[in-house]
Amino acid sequence: MLQAIFLVVAQTIVLLAVSPFIVGLIKKVKARLQLRRGASVFQPYADLAKLFRKEPVVSTTTSWIFTATPYIVFASTLAAGLLVPIFVSRTPLNFAGNIIAVVYLLALGTFFLMLAGLDAGSAFGGMGSSREAIVASLTEPAMILSIFAIALTKGSTNLSTIVHKTALLEGIVTDPSPYLMALAALFIVAIAETGRVPVDNPATHLELTMIHEAMVLEYSGRYLALIEWAAGLKLAVFLSLIANIFAPWGIATTLAPAAMGIGLVAYLLKIAGLAMLIGVIECMFAKLRLFRVTDLLGVAFILALLGLLFFYILRS
Amino acid sequence: MAETRSYDEALKAAFPSIVQDDAALGEFSHFLVPKDLLPAITHYLHTQPSLHGRLTLVWAVDDRPVCDTYGLHYLFTLEPSSRWVLLSTELAGDDRLFPSITPHIHAAKWYEREIRDMFGLIPQGHPDLRRLIRHEHWPKGAHPLKKDFPWDRVLGRQQGEHHFRHIEGEGVFEVPVGPIHAGIIESGHFRFSVAGEPIMQLELHHFWKHRGVEKLFEQQKLTTAVPLAERVSGDTTVGHSLAYCQAVESLFHLKVPRRGRYLRSLFLELERLHNHLGDVGAICNDTAYALPHAHCGRMKEQIMQLNDRLTGSRFLRGVNRMGGVAVDLTAGQLAEIVAELDRIEKDFSELESIIASNASLIDRLETTGVLTERTAWDHAVVGVVGRASGLDQDLRRDRPFAAYDELQVRVVTYRYGDVRARMRVRMDEIHESMRLVREVSVKIPQGPVAVEPGRGPQAGEWALSAVEGWRGEIVYMVMAGESGKIHRCKVRDPSFVNWPAIQWAVLGNIIPDFPLINKSFSLSYAGNDL
Repeated sequence: MLQAIFLVVAQTIVLLAVSPFIVGLIKKVKARLQLRRGASVFQPYADLAKLFRKEPVVSTTTSWIFTATPYIVFASTLAAGLLVPIFVSRTPLNFAGNIIAVVYLLALGTFFLMLAGLDAGSAFGGMGSSREAIVASLTEPAMILSIFAIALTKGSTNLSTIVHKTALLEGIVTDPSPYLMALAALFIVAIAETGRVPVDNPATHLELTMIHEAMVLEYSGRYLALIEWAAGLKLAVFLSLIANIFAPWGIATTLAPAAMGIGLVAYLLKIAGLAMLIGVIECMFAKLRLFRVTDLLGVAFILALLGLLFFYILRS
Repeated sequence: MAETRSYDEALKAAFPSIVQDDAALGEFSHFLVPKDLLPAITHYLHTQPSLHGRLTLVWAVDDRPVCDTYGLHYLFTLEPSSRWVLLSTELAGDDRLFPSITPHIHAAKWYEREIRDMFGLIPQGHPDLRRLIRHEHWPKGAHPLKKDFPWDRVLGRQQGEHHFRHIEGEGVFEVPVGPIHAGIIESGHFRFSVAGEPIMQLELHHFWKHRGVEKLFEQQKLTTAVPLAERVSGDTTVGHSLAYCQAVESLFHLKVPRRGRYLRSLFLELERLHNHLGDVGAICNDTAYALPHAHCGRMKEQIMQLNDRLTGSRFLRGVNRMGGVAVDLTAGQLAEIVAELDRIEKDFSELESIIASNASLIDRLETTGVLTERTAWDHAVVGVVGRASGLDQDLRRDRPFAAYDELQVRVVTYRYGDVRARMRVRMDEIHESMRLVREVSVKIPQGPVAVEPGRGPQAGEWALSAVEGWRGEIVYMVMAGESGKIHRCKVRDPSFVNWPAIQWAVLGNIIPDFPLINKSFSLSYAGNDL
């Protein structure tokens, strides 16, 4: 019992503390690659602190959905984060759900964001919601399939079990192709779901081109802080999924302090590496035309499906 | 000259009742036309294959204090020869109506609405008589360019609503954008009618910050208005001040020394360089490809710092003056310019190959925002946008000014009319401008850089001037008034003619591509809204 509480608290703190750092690191990498000095990697913490102190401005045409959404998004994303192994292979909410719960907890947040985008009645919010609906409906099957491809090799949809077994090198298929395909698919999904280039551009000021940013355009103050933090959390959840499903090495398989220390360091290194990779990708590509995003997500779906099929072929 | 004569004779043969004013002959052909004949003659000039007249400028003058008339003037550029033909007519006494030529010539649509707003003259038969510059909250009867309208009058407000054109139907909705934007952008309103993402209609509603520039000119003396011209559109300091100076110099019969003319070309190219570099980067940035934006931003900054070192102004303010330029450059400074441009060109060429090999970027730019040659011609589009749509026009070659008669300008044109073509025109012109600067640095003669003005013009004398600024043709008409003052100064920034064309370029594109298309046009709100 005490262990469970400790895990919940520890993982919550790590997730909340790490997520602004990921955002800051991506920005820093982009800045350096563009010959800019860039803000400090810790700038997002200061931004959050500033936003929490500011008074939120809420349009009089909004309903309760608008004010409830930031809390729902933040809570559902954090809950999803507690279902994903971070630095200990056992997840704090292990008993409560598996990978399917993660997918739909994230979808719950997306759903409320889309509602909130419509709620304020501005033209941009509506456009953002409609675009997000396209992206979300196409990422979901690709995400589920890519994780199923891995789940099949381990015989479980429980993320703890998957990660634990992989870390102990159990049930590894010797041919890496299903893993690589599932990895590629999940990476594309992560880019799309977290609104990064080439699907969306988090740095733009052009409302007409936005997806995620258009939905949250009306938010300010602590509501915006929660939404920004939740966006960082979502990024952390996806990067943790990728890091720990495909490369769980170093993760603590017991609750021994030394193992957890190594697990934490390994986790931070992996996450930093992935964040830098995203930063590099954002500098290399132009954003896709909106209607080409479906092609990219189609590729992710096919890759995930092939990964699944390869697993069957290799096993028989 | 013989060729010119034949155009004039053909026009006079077709319309026996028009009178040629020989005073202007040599520079352009000037005809006095009865107002009822205007639609027929302009139609003839515009459509006759041997003339191919492009509407370049329409302006009105309130001459009531002098001779109780309003003057209306229509300037055409004949495409085969780049010769100017000017048609003038008068509205005498209480006559406030003139026939609209817009039904035949699209390019006249904003000019005529502008004349209606500024002078209260009504273009009869104009298909769209909504207010253009005078927004609906301006009080009735406020026409600022009438001579009896005090320049410092503070306008009251009245209730009024602008009526947009609506498209109705299931699933069609309107997206209002602006006039307040998220970035550092001037004020402009864009009203989209969309069915999902594809744009069915775009209507511009600009002119939010009318400064009364043309009215302010009328408060200035001919000799003191250069700083005002420099500020018509801040990014086109040299282009506007040069066009103004040239007009005034023809009024004063001043001949600018050759060295002064070379320096004017040099500074005009420097202005073109820093703006084009900024635009190439900004186009890439609007596709979220930020790397070229960072590098172009650096190169633009290098040129602006060079401007600062040479002239004390990053935007080249105070460079042009009546009679020449106010800044002379030493041989050492010329060598510094060439060396700096050599460094920048090396970097820029490398960047160009990076841009050209990025498939994800090219995919965004190609086929986006196509402005066909036909549409561009119909709206008399000028400058970079026109050249990207296949209109082979560049005043530096066609009507040489400054030192361009002694320089070899290679005009860049592309046929496709998409965002990529507009970017490639700019990239090629960057190389061409650098080459021209080098040519200037080799050919520039020694001597004075300016002459002092002598006796001024008589009241009522006027002159036209045109400059190929970095956006395109800048045209000025300056008319002298009593005691050295300006009676009327008509300013036309290329943005005024190119803005409406965007409404056609976006059709069939999706709404998230609009900012990219808009950026590739790169028009000025201030230059448009005088």
